[in-house]
Amino acid sequence: MDISSVIDSLHPLEIKVLMTLGARQPPTAFKSEELAIAAELEPSQLSMAVEWLLAKALIEIQSEIVTPVVSLTKTGEEYYQTAAPIERILAAARDAAGTGKRLTIGDLQAQDGMEPADVSKAVGRLKKEGALLIIQGGCIETTGRPSQTVEVLRPLLEEVHNSSRELTSFSPEHQRLIEDYSVKRGNAKEPFRVDERVTRSFVLSPSGTSAVEQLTSQGLVEEVSQLSPELLKDGSWRQKRFRKYTISLRAPRVGTGKKHPYREFLDTVKTKLVSMGFQEMRGSLVETEFWNMDALFMPQFHPARDIHDVYFVKQPTHAAMADESILSKVGKVHENGGTTGSSGWGYKFDLQRAKRLVLRSQGTAVSARTLAGSPNIPGKYFSIARCFRYDQVDATHATDFFQVEGIVLGENINFRTLLGLLNLFAHEVAQAKEVKFVPAYFPFTEPSVELHVRHPRLGWMELGGAGLFRSEVTVPLGVTVPVIAWGLGLDRMAMVALGIHDIRELFTDNLELIRTTRGLF
Amino acid sequence: MPTITIFKDDFESLLGGTRPASRTVSIEQVEEWLMLVKGELKGHNPDSGELRIELQDSNRPDLWCCEGIARQIRIKQQGKLAQYPFLTGKSNPKKKVIVKPGLDQVRPYVAACTARGYRVTAQGLAQLIQTQEKLAEIFGHKRKTVSIGIYQLSKITFPVTYELVNPSEARFTPLGMETVMTLSEMLMVHPKGVEYGGILAGASRVPLLRDATNQPLSFPPIINSREVGEVEVGDDQLFIEVTGTDLPMVVLTLNIFATNLADRGATIEPIAVEYSTRTSLGKRVTTPQDLRKSKTISIQTIEQALGQKLGIKVVKQALEIYGYEVSTGKGAVRVKLPPYRQDLMHTMDVVEDVAMSRGYAEFTPVMPAQFTVGGLSRIEQVSDRARELMVGLGFQEIISNILGSPEQYSEHMRIDKTEWGKMVVVDNVMTLSFSCLRQWMLPSLLRIEAASSRAFYPHRLFEAGDVAIPDATHELGSRTETVLGAMIAHATAHFSEIHSCLDTLFYHLGREYRLEPVPHPSFLEGRVGRIMIEDKPIGVIGEVHPEVLERWQISMPVVAFDLNLSQLIGQG
Repeated sequence: MDISSVIDSLHPLEIKVLMTLGARQPPTAFKSEELAIAAELEPSQLSMAVEWLLAKALIEIQSEIVTPVVSLTKTGEEYYQTAAPIERILAAARDAAGTGKRLTIGDLQAQDGMEPADVSKAVGRLKKEGALLIIQGGCIETTGRPSQTVEVLRPLLEEVHNSSRELTSFSPEHQRLIEDYSVKRGNAKEPFRVDERVTRSFVLSPSGTSAVEQLTSQGLVEEVSQLSPELLKDGSWRQKRFRKYTISLRAPRVGTGKKHPYREFLDTVKTKLVSMGFQEMRGSLVETEFWNMDALFMPQFHPARDIHDVYFVKQPTHAAMADESILSKVGKVHENGGTTGSSGWGYKFDLQRAKRLVLRSQGTAVSARTLAGSPNIPGKYFSIARCFRYDQVDATHATDFFQVEGIVLGENINFRTLLGLLNLFAHEVAQAKEVKFVPAYFPFTEPSVELHVRHPRLGWMELGGAGLFRSEVTVPLGVTVPVIAWGLGLDRMAMVALGIHDIRELFTDNLELIRTTRGLF
Repeated sequence: MPTITIFKDDFESLLGGTRPASRTVSIEQVEEWLMLVKGELKGHNPDSGELRIELQDSNRPDLWCCEGIARQIRIKQQGKLAQYPFLTGKSNPKKKVIVKPGLDQVRPYVAACTARGYRVTAQGLAQLIQTQEKLAEIFGHKRKTVSIGIYQLSKITFPVTYELVNPSEARFTPLGMETVMTLSEMLMVHPKGVEYGGILAGASRVPLLRDATNQPLSFPPIINSREVGEVEVGDDQLFIEVTGTDLPMVVLTLNIFATNLADRGATIEPIAVEYSTRTSLGKRVTTPQDLRKSKTISIQTIEQALGQKLGIKVVKQALEIYGYEVSTGKGAVRVKLPPYRQDLMHTMDVVEDVAMSRGYAEFTPVMPAQFTVGGLSRIEQVSDRARELMVGLGFQEIISNILGSPEQYSEHMRIDKTEWGKMVVVDNVMTLSFSCLRQWMLPSLLRIEAASSRAFYPHRLFEAGDVAIPDATHELGSRTETVLGAMIAHATAHFSEIHSCLDTLFYHLGREYRLEPVPHPSFLEGRVGRIMIEDKPIGVIGEVHPEVLERWQISMPVVAFDLNLSQLIGQG
């Protein structure tokens, strides 16, 4: 590599190390500690700079010396503060000899902080050294002779407690003892630890030498890492050198402001519908059974109106509806068809039941209110309504979810224009070219149809349901033209676009997931 | 709606009428045919030949069985409906069921017939039991309106009597039990008694069917006698009865069973039911009975609804191969449903059958040609604008359930038993976690914060969405309003930080506001303000109270605001 471009990329720490190494004439090797002192660097700074310089081949390792170093473990510190098991056992045995009590191994193990393994190791050693005897019944007795280990252990603990020391600075006997009592694989509870300290010494490489020469000859230009307003104001940036960055490094993460991917998906659907000429409708989270079901010609005995399908409101239980005329109109249709040409369901309609408050269970409730509120004719309406179902929550069922649905009113609406509208949805919303219309059943439409589409990525899927509102729905609400009612089931499409398999993840509380999910619609 | 299991070879043999099947049918073919009956194939076991089918139409109980599905397809294949001579009503039945007075208060109606000459097969028996269950459970509202019993005819001596008895005196051995029990005991001990006993709650005397020898047949709608009410494979003489509270539904249910068994080759013998008082069908009612009424529909109505010229011949043919009886007049058809159907409420029901009979694929889609102006509601526009601004301010949007728990929305927030803590609460609670509607947005944001302490900080979150605010003056007892909530969490989160965001938001929404000190238990005292426009409070802003954070197990300071957008634009 060109030496001057190498020099340009040098960090101030690297320059310090290089200049320190180059300062000694004739060049000799520096040990790490020497280098840190000579270059006036913290050990962490030095090790960073050395790693970078090694990677750039500006310095070389001349030698690497491995020294075993002894230090105390946490257990060692405890032994130092109180006493090692071997000390405690010998003391206990001597006590027992003084008072004439019998001391068993069991007694020793029952003592606070004594592990069975510690006890047996210590007893074994004491016995070997002739300081203890094991007699019948697992009892131990002191022989009165000293234990070499106990004599030496205490001074060793004291010496190492102050600072770690090289193993070789101890006598061979002491070294053996330390090794016996040091942490090894499978035996973590020992007082000593022997670590290998690596001492490396460095010299300049040939290219390092030429870099030093060049740095010396060009003179040290002060290097800055950051352009500042001050540098710009007084023009002093001209005298500075800007260190070059390693731009291939991974960028740090940044918090973004952005929309929720599922809301973003719904926004695209909303925009599509508006572009197709649909006007948005809004509704209430709490609805009467009347608007949620009765107005949609769902008989009051319909199984989907059961206590196990709809959430009822506790307080107030019923709506305070001042005008009951629309209720009785719809009630008549349920009872005998009223003026709709229908025979009705033939049961006694309960006006009070119609006022019962529920959590909206279908978006069609919003359409029913629109029908009753003098809608435009021709008119197209949609809503993206939060609905509630009395379902056990699992991967495919949520207690509250969005329903995208709406209506189309017009003199010229008929079964074929219904199919035409569904075709349009298939193209616009699912980018599907192939569609299939399947007969379906909804209590409030006749004929009813399900829209199946071949999605470019998902294959055949059900995209929605639709139909012509029954006269039993439209006539009592004051609408005399045919009305298409439609609904789109978009959750599956959204889940695939967002790469999730569990409907609960649409409303996840995992911020990391929300931040990292890409919406590709 | 019901999902049933049928056997493919049984289905195939029914498709061939009473003749044995001469060919097997592909699964693709079955799926296509199912469009005729609004059915969807949910599963197929090639080893056992079982097909699981979901039937969508809740008004067509005749289709909730193998026989009915096969019949609808067979008519189209053969071009005509089989005749069911037992429905003509001309026969003068020898066998009788006598209904004693008093039942009108409990379970007034009964319909019955016999079926001979069809030897029950294992698959046929499975279908019989399944149809009995589905019709009683779904069409019969869990046996309340309709329940069904099937018996070995040879063990019954006519006439049969339907009467009220004292439940602690009448006794027999019910199906599923070994010993004789009184009806009261059955209600207490028998699983069906426990499950369906509620239907008879409050009745001091209960229904019983017995024969001329006083042998009990059944305790409707609870359980049959084990002696006569256990049909087995190989039986070829059956007695079928339907009891209930709605006479047309009771008769229709029997009609369905009778046509099903006739399709399997049985000869149906009607039975006369003699009531003590007049019913809507008279004092003596022969069952099964054809209850059909004719309806005249103009061709123009059908063509207009379908958007296609069809002509009278095409309409007539389409309806005939769907099972209707059709006669033609000037520009109109006079139609009669088949006897196993009773779902003709409106002309449009016939229109749909024309479309289904021809197949939806026969109708070319036409784009609706009308011009309309699309647009968003005012609140949605404001909400979208606020969302854009929040994104620009560096906030991540979140989205939450609206249904939650009082713990989240109020107790954790230290506002239970205060005005702030009032909520719309669910009456029929399934789990406490989903038992009330959120009345403000801050808990939805804290929900995410509590779960995301490991996501890198700072956290800047917002959500715009609906809340329900209790309001006794509102017709529905609450108002649904759109609220924007925002929060910032990091080690040095500070009131002024969220205040700056609120300030910027108001500037760009073009509204003046001021903050007014307010004591609010969810926030630190003296670091919380009411957001006011003119003299109306429309939200709150502040440093979240450490006790609130503790309850949510959040260990990071949080500052937040909650702003009612509906009230901001005067739609509150």
